[in-house]
Amino acid sequence: MASRTLAVWEHRKVVGLLVRRDLKVKYQQSVLGYAWTMLEPLALTLVYFFVFGIVLQADRGMPEGAPGGYILFLVAGILPWTTFGAILSEAPRAMITHAKLITTMKVPREIFPMATVGTKFVEYVLTWPVLLIFVFARGGSFTWEGMLFWLPLAVVLTFMFGLGVTLFLASVNVLLRDVERLTRILTRLLFYGSAILFPASMVLAADRVPGWAKTLYELNPLMGIFQMHRTVWFSGFEELTPSTFALTSSVVGSILMLIIGYWTFRRLEMSVLKEL
Amino acid sequence: MASTYEAAVADGPVIEAKGLGVKFAVNRRRKRSLREMFIHGNKRDPNAEGNEFWPLRDVSFEIAKGDCVGIVGKNGTGKSTLLKMIAGVLIPDEGKVSVHGKVAPLLELRAGFNDNLTGRENVYLVGSLHGMTEKQIDERFEEIVDFAEVKPKFIDTPVRHYSSGMKVRLGFALISQLEHPIMLVDEVLAVGDKAFKRKCYEAIDRMLANERTMVLVSHNEKDLRRFCNRGLYIKNGSLDLDTDIDSALAAYNEDTKVEIEERKKKDAAKKKRAEAAAKKVEAEAGTIEAGATAADTAKTDRPEPDADKADPGEGGDGKDGGQVA
Repeated sequence: MASRTLAVWEHRKVVGLLVRRDLKVKYQQSVLGYAWTMLEPLALTLVYFFVFGIVLQADRGMPEGAPGGYILFLVAGILPWTTFGAILSEAPRAMITHAKLITTMKVPREIFPMATVGTKFVEYVLTWPVLLIFVFARGGSFTWEGMLFWLPLAVVLTFMFGLGVTLFLASVNVLLRDVERLTRILTRLLFYGSAILFPASMVLAADRVPGWAKTLYELNPLMGIFQMHRTVWFSGFEELTPSTFALTSSVVGSILMLIIGYWTFRRLEMSVLKEL
Repeated sequence: MASTYEAAVADGPVIEAKGLGVKFAVNRRRKRSLREMFIHGNKRDPNAEGNEFWPLRDVSFEIAKGDCVGIVGKNGTGKSTLLKMIAGVLIPDEGKVSVHGKVAPLLELRAGFNDNLTGRENVYLVGSLHGMTEKQIDERFEEIVDFAEVKPKFIDTPVRHYSSGMKVRLGFALISQLEHPIMLVDEVLAVGDKAFKRKCYEAIDRMLANERTMVLVSHNEKDLRRFCNRGLYIKNGSLDLDTDIDSALAAYNEDTKVEIEERKKKDAAKKKRAEAAAKKVEAEAGTIEAGATAADTAKTDRPEPDADKADPGEGGDGKDGGQVA
């Protein structure tokens, strides 16, 4: 285990190379290039703002006087979600697409899922300009609590969870290709299960939702994680801050996901190499 | 688990294999491998189920520094699997392989080339993946391109526009610039035209003169005799002989001959049966029938006086289809 970690560390440059290659290939053939990273979530935000904000009035869950309002709330949730969704959709193929490299080069195999997640991390960072535009345009507030506590926590947990999922899906999908399709459905489910479009308090305060469903809802580590992404801009508003329960389940859930993912990956490694 | 990440050891064998074995599940392999993970892990009794197949088992050998070892054997006897285990890209189910030193794998030359990147970008990418520094590649870039005979105007074109020969040449040119002490070569000498082949030979000669260790899998006797000082003959998934290359090739040829004899006998018997059946059929249908049988038998019936070339299963693609009729 320790030697393996060391081997991964020694190959960190390779991860960097793979990330750079992925980005290069991805943006090389489109005219707008990396602008797409920003345009896509931007377009999504506008659609959701119209449908959920104006038509369905999901903004009624927002507390009074929150700086930036519902649209900032949406952007702050949709941007990290786009990244996370992209991780989920590419995770099952993380090993398969590199089959040629994996079967000819002796490197610790973990670096391929890591490179996939790394690429997404870079893309996530590239979406920040969009977020900042909304923050400034809508008068969002910078707070120490948000910037120094919620932001790092949210980012670390998102990518920790993402890496765990990628390790898990990438290896299992080589043996069971059904996983890819299953993941697509689950992604949809998680999108609504993680309260991206409406404040989580709307669900938790609703009388019509049974108690066990609320518990399940708060147990979903992603719900807490994406709440954190927004608490960065709305710290101090209790409705928009994860409860202790949600906070615990996101921290524990992310760590657990990483452990499960890595364990599965190592366990299946031999079979995966034979199948590739 | 393979401990191929071990640091280099000064003395002793460079490559050390002990009781290597690898298994594939024949049926329902996916289900099994998932079940394996949840129940027993990888240490279950190998005889517990009949559904598995060991392409290679109980193979042990040591390779000293500076050796050039040729691996010979029929198709499907696990030669490439063995090479992959040495390269560390396949983990053995049994036994252990230790490799002391970095490995330059010429297993599949186009490996790692991304079709959307240019030749130059690919050289830098794959070179660094194999452990070259940017400076090293800078220094050798011209030599690589020159060796690969890729015209300068194409080097900045995406690799997907290259001919397959160009890709392979560029791959060989790059890998042959690696300074790793161990080289694994799998059939790749068959690439390129005559002139390029000669250059490859020269490059390999140069590397061998440099005290490097090489393991070569090939069906080409000339190549094997030219480079190797030692031969491993793999037969039915186990190491049959570990001698000099000439004896290994001799044993292989001997076995091939026997096999061809057997096959001929079988074919002759089959032909007889077919002829007997054909006679029964009425005269008007006779011509069609005979044609079909002929094509059927011709596939394996090609006489092969010298077993020199390759294994018999591969050859004789019915080019003499009408001969028997």
